[in-house]
Amino acid sequence: MNHPDYIAAESIQQALHLKQVHGEDAHVVAGGTDLILRMRDEILAPELLIDLRKISLDRISKHEGGMQLGAYVQIAQLLAHPVIKETYPALAEACRQFAGPPIRNRGTLGGNIINASPAADLLPPLMAYDASLVLESISGQREMPLDQFLQGPGQTRLAPNELLTRIMLPQILANSATSFIKLGHRRSMAIAIVNVCTRISLAKDGSVEQARVVLGSVAPTVIRSQESEARLKGQLLSEDLIEDCARLAADDATPISDVRASSEYRKRMVRVLVRRALTANQSELSGGIAGA
Amino acid sequence: MRITVNGRQRDVSSEPVKTLLHVLREDLGLTGTKDGCSSGDCGACTVMLDGRVVNSCMVMVAQADGASVVTVEGIATGGQPAEVLHPLQKAFSQCWSFQCGFCTQGMLVSCYDLLQTNDNPSREDILTAIAGNFCRCTGYQAVVTAVQQAAAEIRTSDAGAQNERA
Repeated sequence: MNHPDYIAAESIQQALHLKQVHGEDAHVVAGGTDLILRMRDEILAPELLIDLRKISLDRISKHEGGMQLGAYVQIAQLLAHPVIKETYPALAEACRQFAGPPIRNRGTLGGNIINASPAADLLPPLMAYDASLVLESISGQREMPLDQFLQGPGQTRLAPNELLTRIMLPQILANSATSFIKLGHRRSMAIAIVNVCTRISLAKDGSVEQARVVLGSVAPTVIRSQESEARLKGQLLSEDLIEDCARLAADDATPISDVRASSEYRKRMVRVLVRRALTANQSELSGGIAGA
Repeated sequence: MRITVNGRQRDVSSEPVKTLLHVLREDLGLTGTKDGCSSGDCGACTVMLDGRVVNSCMVMVAQADGASVVTVEGIATGGQPAEVLHPLQKAFSQCWSFQCGFCTQGMLVSCYDLLQTNDNPSREDILTAIAGNFCRCTGYQAVVTAVQQAAAEIRTSDAGAQNERA
């Protein structure tokens, strides 16, 4: 490990100024649960660490019918929040299945996004809820949809002088159901073999107005299955339609084989899990008991 | 940097990126906290940081500057070395809840945290609380038994204290 300087920024302006001056040589410390490992393994050797804990980026608040989440919000904080559980239940469910209590007490929402792991647990629900990110630099801020932000494993469109400060969750249409399913080798402390998150929002006539079918751990980034979303749009949910969409989602997956599972197994599980998730959505929307 | 450890203020002059785990063990001599995996997976290094359980191997000491830490040494009471074991510690030894003991301190800290807010935990509550603590020899059933026994003891002594006041 190298020996970086360490500054706990007193204000967002100070943090932005340091990023402007030091660029990629400065790395942000949020929870630190990934950073420490990357520094120890010498994947990262920053000259300066900027700790954000003194800046108030840990707020969860309502915003224009949706929610605004600070980048420093910890996983445990999200999990404990009643409005998140009520309004964005798939995000709460992903938090519940995230690592174990000690990591949930340190790891942050922003860290899970910036880390840009294809297996990140929070990215599928965030994408299913159409989350966008507020990126700030000393010269201003811009907002970018999450699905455009992710570029590859560990790669994002964050500029060297920028910080992710807030995550925006828009208001979800009235007649919606979401489902998050994580397949891991065990119930806790597991990195996903496959993650699936689906959201179905119905129009007044009962047809699908909006569909999100998001897949994790089966491509270089978390992805939306364009084919199955297009197939769902405007249709009435049925067993046949769901089976069709599960197959299309599996076709959209381009997984690798690694220590956790083979490529073939992952593809097959995408089909199984998308079928289950959409079936749970259908059941919830028709007033039944969701059976994810 | 200044950290309150088990109620006592300690000044730390190590480099900022040294882990809290290694500061506790090497600089402060508190070797109850164990170095298992060094990567946040096993929970042998669990401590309380500002009232919440964390993996001390996943915290740089600079992140804990100004914070309050409770280690396994701070769970027992009655001076240093501690004279009075916490009910959890007694129950762990009575229920044979460990063999090699390497994971035990992490289990104790996680369960200590659980009992702060839940004086009658179910099996599921306990398994959720120790989801980040791996045992590779004894298993978890004897831990569940011990935590429920300790919780019962704490409830009884709390009820006794209330009766005395009444």
